[in-house]
Amino acid sequence: MVQSAKPVPPIWCPGCGDFGLLASVKRAAADLKIPPHNLVLVGGIGCSGSIHNFLEVNGIHALHGRLLAQAIGVKLANPSLTVVAAGGDGDGYAIGMGHFMHAFKKNASILYIVMNNETYGLTKGQPSPTSQLGFEGNIEAPFDAILSALSIPVPNFIARTFSGDPKTMTQILEEAIRFNHENRGFAFVEDLSPCVTYNDTYKLWREKVLDVSKLPGYDPSDRKTMFRLYLDTLESGKIPVGVMHRPKDAAKVGLEAKLLGDAVGPARSDISIDANLTSYEKLLAAAV
Amino acid sequence: MTSPASRATPVPVESGPSESRPPLELADVSVMIGGQGGDGTLTVSDLLGRYFRKCGLYVYTSRNVLSRIRGGHADASVRASRDPISAVKPQVDVLVAFDNEAIEMGRAELSPDGFILYDSTSFHSEIPTAVGFPFATLVGGPLGQPIFKNTAAYGALSVLLGFDPAKTRQVIEERFKRRGGEALEKNLKALEIGRHAALEAPNVANRYSVVEGDAHDLILTTGNQAVALGFVVGGGRFFAGYPITPATEIMEYLQRYLPPLGGVVRQAEDELGAVNMVLGAAYAGARAMTSTSGPGLSLMTEGIGQAGTAEIPILIADCQRVGPSTGQPTRHEQSDLSHLANLGHGEYPRFIVSPATPEDCFSLTVEALNLAEKWRVPVFLLLDQALCQNTATSPRFDLSRVHVDRGRRLRSEEAASLTEYKAYRITDDGVSPYAPPGTPGLWAEITGNEHDEWGHVSVNPVNRNRMMKKRMEKMVLARDDLPPARLFGDPAAKIGFIGFGSTSGPIRESQSILAARGIPTRYFQARTVYPVPVHELDPFLKGVDVAYVVEHNYTGQFARLVREHLPWHHAKLRSILKYDGYSFRTPQILAGVKEVS
Repeated sequence: MVQSAKPVPPIWCPGCGDFGLLASVKRAAADLKIPPHNLVLVGGIGCSGSIHNFLEVNGIHALHGRLLAQAIGVKLANPSLTVVAAGGDGDGYAIGMGHFMHAFKKNASILYIVMNNETYGLTKGQPSPTSQLGFEGNIEAPFDAILSALSIPVPNFIARTFSGDPKTMTQILEEAIRFNHENRGFAFVEDLSPCVTYNDTYKLWREKVLDVSKLPGYDPSDRKTMFRLYLDTLESGKIPVGVMHRPKDAAKVGLEAKLLGDAVGPARSDISIDANLTSYEKLLAAAV
Repeated sequence: MTSPASRATPVPVESGPSESRPPLELADVSVMIGGQGGDGTLTVSDLLGRYFRKCGLYVYTSRNVLSRIRGGHADASVRASRDPISAVKPQVDVLVAFDNEAIEMGRAELSPDGFILYDSTSFHSEIPTAVGFPFATLVGGPLGQPIFKNTAAYGALSVLLGFDPAKTRQVIEERFKRRGGEALEKNLKALEIGRHAALEAPNVANRYSVVEGDAHDLILTTGNQAVALGFVVGGGRFFAGYPITPATEIMEYLQRYLPPLGGVVRQAEDELGAVNMVLGAAYAGARAMTSTSGPGLSLMTEGIGQAGTAEIPILIADCQRVGPSTGQPTRHEQSDLSHLANLGHGEYPRFIVSPATPEDCFSLTVEALNLAEKWRVPVFLLLDQALCQNTATSPRFDLSRVHVDRGRRLRSEEAASLTEYKAYRITDDGVSPYAPPGTPGLWAEITGNEHDEWGHVSVNPVNRNRMMKKRMEKMVLARDDLPPARLFGDPAAKIGFIGFGSTSGPIRESQSILAARGIPTRYFQARTVYPVPVHELDPFLKGVDVAYVVEHNYTGQFARLVREHLPWHHAKLRSILKYDGYSFRTPQILAGVKEVS
């Protein structure tokens, strides 16, 4: 038995919503029997992005906003790994917005979890892209990641969870990871994870969350329906949670499957000259 | 301007000078082809290059284009010689012009014996030595399109330069065989139209004869293609980039080469996405690279800093162009060096290696991949526009000299025998053994935060000092692993040159000219430019009275680095600089050498 890096205690404030998410990620990995050496957790920058330090896992701490590009690089290099990227709303929707929108389009089979607390906690409570009007003087409209995700016509898995409901959250995370394991593409889960210090929304969110799967006509494979249900729910003053999009078609359309098929991928390829000599000789002869 | 296609009947062929003379023999010939972007100047250049290769000549081609799809002045030049060359010839022997602007632009470089061959479809040149043929009109009638004027011009050139008709035709067949059918047929017709026009004109046929050479088993390639090939055989399997001149061809070549080998090439959303995908892939254990130019490098700076601190081995090919900001995208410069040497906030180790020829691009790309993985640092391949995009003859790339060294990467069985796995273990040789994610039974924390040996975030000052030392000492410990300089010329000469990249071509040619005048020189071609190779430069500088550092920038960036690291040789260093977007011609170097006058 090789001793690897041991988890360190979380840096989060007592009661932070991120604890719920951490517990669900651990539970999902255990339920799906993913060994730590095959699980890569790519953390963003911010309180939530330190999550990879708190469990037994291959952790990589990405740059602010760049976790998705790094996570996609990992998956394309070694598609046998389970790759989870996790960060906050500032990391994903502000500095990382370009990579965020493109991740849906790229559709690599990785799970991206955004712990949305509607503020920049680590730097002490500035407004974030999802902050409500009036929060800390915010005069810009809040960004809605689910609506944006639904607008991109790619068969991704899209869901929202609430840290106050860990049971449903675990179920959805497991479903998302299974979606990835089947090479069906990108899975995005926004977790409503209150910041108890700078933006304690537990009570408000507990009152306002509404599970869309309970609504009449719910069909997560149909974008049009889901847009309507989502907008209707917002209009009624509620916050929609649950699975927002899940294609019926189980085809292996993940980017790694499209690019590599059954190949082992760049990280595990035998790159010795001997193993490739014939291909290299042909390449050089044809190229110049 | 009259539309060439609208003229129904060919206008009479204009005649050149009428005195007859024997062919002028050229052992080193330069042809410049100029016109508007879209006139097909690059095609003529390509055809000539292929022809000269068939004649066993060394070939060097360069191009001068604008950053736009069509229109604007564009020119290309082809040089062929019996002797090895890797520079533009200072004087042009034949200028082929598709418009008057091309004549105006090219005349300054024309030799006194030079000849101007132009397309007279829409203008008449008053220059007495210029000979015009209405190529666009001549091909427009029979072929329906004036675009074949460039092939007709190649046909006329072949007559002017006394080419062998069969080889001339073979070149067209080879060039257009892939497109086949109509394209090939029309180009062959255009070739004949151009040839006949020239044969019928007085005093055009065989004005020159190009001396054949014996350099047969060579390839003609660009630095960008050589980098792509070196990356593949060096085990590179992951590439992410963003289109940018003059680096894009590396990505385009790899899009063809890598997928059949199980490799991945992605065009990212921006340079941030590109370098971070490369970081992710390299962390996962792939040999990974991105290529870019100055503006992209500015964006990649944060990612490269993470590679330095988190010890993720990545390769960055920097195809330098004129900066700063957007600068001149299609023009040549070597002004990113200072930026690369100091890239990023904070301090971290990095190696910058600099090839000078396509062959060197091939072998140094392999070497750079080995260095990155062995020392777990970001490595820069310092290129420049002329090296990236000009074509040069080169010996065939030699696979038997390629070796792949994965350094202290742990195989699964080695990893399983460990008692503990620390990704940042401090070792005597300065490098931590590394097991990529997926290695059974172990895992690690990797981070750009300061960390302890386990990869856990640490603000402990004792640990900070140990980790800084661990990383920074790679720059010293790797010294004997870094690509050595090449020395050319007379080892006893008192006049020295120092340079890197494509500047080596004109420097070596200047050395030959000086040697013929009885002035011996020696040249230090740096192949590792950072860390500054003090152990190599010191003996070189000790041996000379003066050293001219020749580089394409305003402030003498390499000279400044040499001064900083070898201050005791300060007084011997002189700079020869050029930053107008064009690569050095030998007279411009010679003019900077005081001892010549």
